[in-house]
Amino acid sequence: MASTDPEYGTKPQPNPPTAGENKWKYLKVPLSSLDAGLRVLLFAACVTSVVVMVTSKQTIHQGPVSKEAKFNHSPALIYFVAALSVAGLYSIITTLASISIIMKPAFSSKFILHFAFWDVLIFGVVASATGTAGAVGYVGLKGNKHVPWQKVCNVFDKYCRHIAGSLAVSLFASVVLVLLIWLSAFTLHKKIPK
Amino acid sequence: MENQKGSNDGKIDGLESRGREVMVANQRTTGTCESLLRILALALTLAAAIVLGVNKQSKVVPIKLVEGLPPLNVSVPAKWHYLSAFVYFVVVNAVASAYAAVSLVLSLANRGGKSSSSSSRLVVIFLDVIMVSLLFSSIGAAGAIGLMGREGNKHVQWKKVCNTFGKFCGQAAVAVILSLLGSIAFVFLVMLSARSLHKKITK
Repeated sequence: MASTDPEYGTKPQPNPPTAGENKWKYLKVPLSSLDAGLRVLLFAACVTSVVVMVTSKQTIHQGPVSKEAKFNHSPALIYFVAALSVAGLYSIITTLASISIIMKPAFSSKFILHFAFWDVLIFGVVASATGTAGAVGYVGLKGNKHVPWQKVCNVFDKYCRHIAGSLAVSLFASVVLVLLIWLSAFTLHKKIPK
Repeated sequence: MENQKGSNDGKIDGLESRGREVMVANQRTTGTCESLLRILALALTLAAAIVLGVNKQSKVVPIKLVEGLPPLNVSVPAKWHYLSAFVYFVVVNAVASAYAAVSLVLSLANRGGKSSSSSSRLVVIFLDVIMVSLLFSSIGAAGAIGLMGREGNKHVQWKKVCNTFGKFCGQAAVAVILSLLGSIAFVFLVMLSARSLHKKITK
């Protein structure tokens, strides 16, 4: 019979599936579109975060001297912008890959495994960038009396508001990445034959 | 026809049983790998928390109060809990090492049995990802503050302190590197779990 063909197992079965397989087939489509939707959301969050951070320039005139605050005055914020840009680029590529899964679900489990691997790596980068910018922003907001680091947010208020907004959006982006990793694991779990 | 079918069945049975043996062996190596990685993560995050937690240095610094008078020698301490980023780092690493210990015990207890099922693996992935997020953000925070202490920032006039407190800064850097290695172990744990879920699909 044709069912002994060894290559047949990897391809989607064209013959009418049993009731159990049928159930999974209906569940698979919403999960992969949820994946694509979350990736688009991740892209939007990364772009918003980078734009808000880059536009945080503020100049203050104190009599004859004018002081300027820009994001690239701090290496931590440069790292933040670079990391979020990388994550945004990554989200474009994986959105396309995710759409290709919806179109052609033959190799979906292999794709999802690779999604999980790379999502964890990018997630590490985004989480560390959020931590970095958060630590520097906190010192800028509160200052530190032990080390003579004075707060700057009372002077550069618009600058600090931009940094805070950007941080909040990047926190949202890392939450979306966590959801994506969980979704990949859950999809793999769903596909395990009983 | 029936005879052929019977022999076919036997062949498939043989293949299947061999496949099952391979799978069991794979599961065993995966389990050993997982336990080793958990021990590594436990040791590294605990070491990072301790190294930064005992970090303390006092330095006698001459301070000139009034012009003309000889400078006054004042002992200035540097402690880890002066910086909130370091407090966050120590707390997160302590939590991660405690989680690694608990999950190590659970994974050793579940070993071999049928209870190492895919749904328990799903829960483990959930928690491991949360640990990865906490560890990486704490590394970012402590690293940023450490870099600030090392380099200073001339734009906002934050002076560097590592030229005075050399030992303090070195110890903080060691703690960050240890924690980075520990968090990479957690990343590998997530990947390992995902791979073993994937293996169960294609068995």
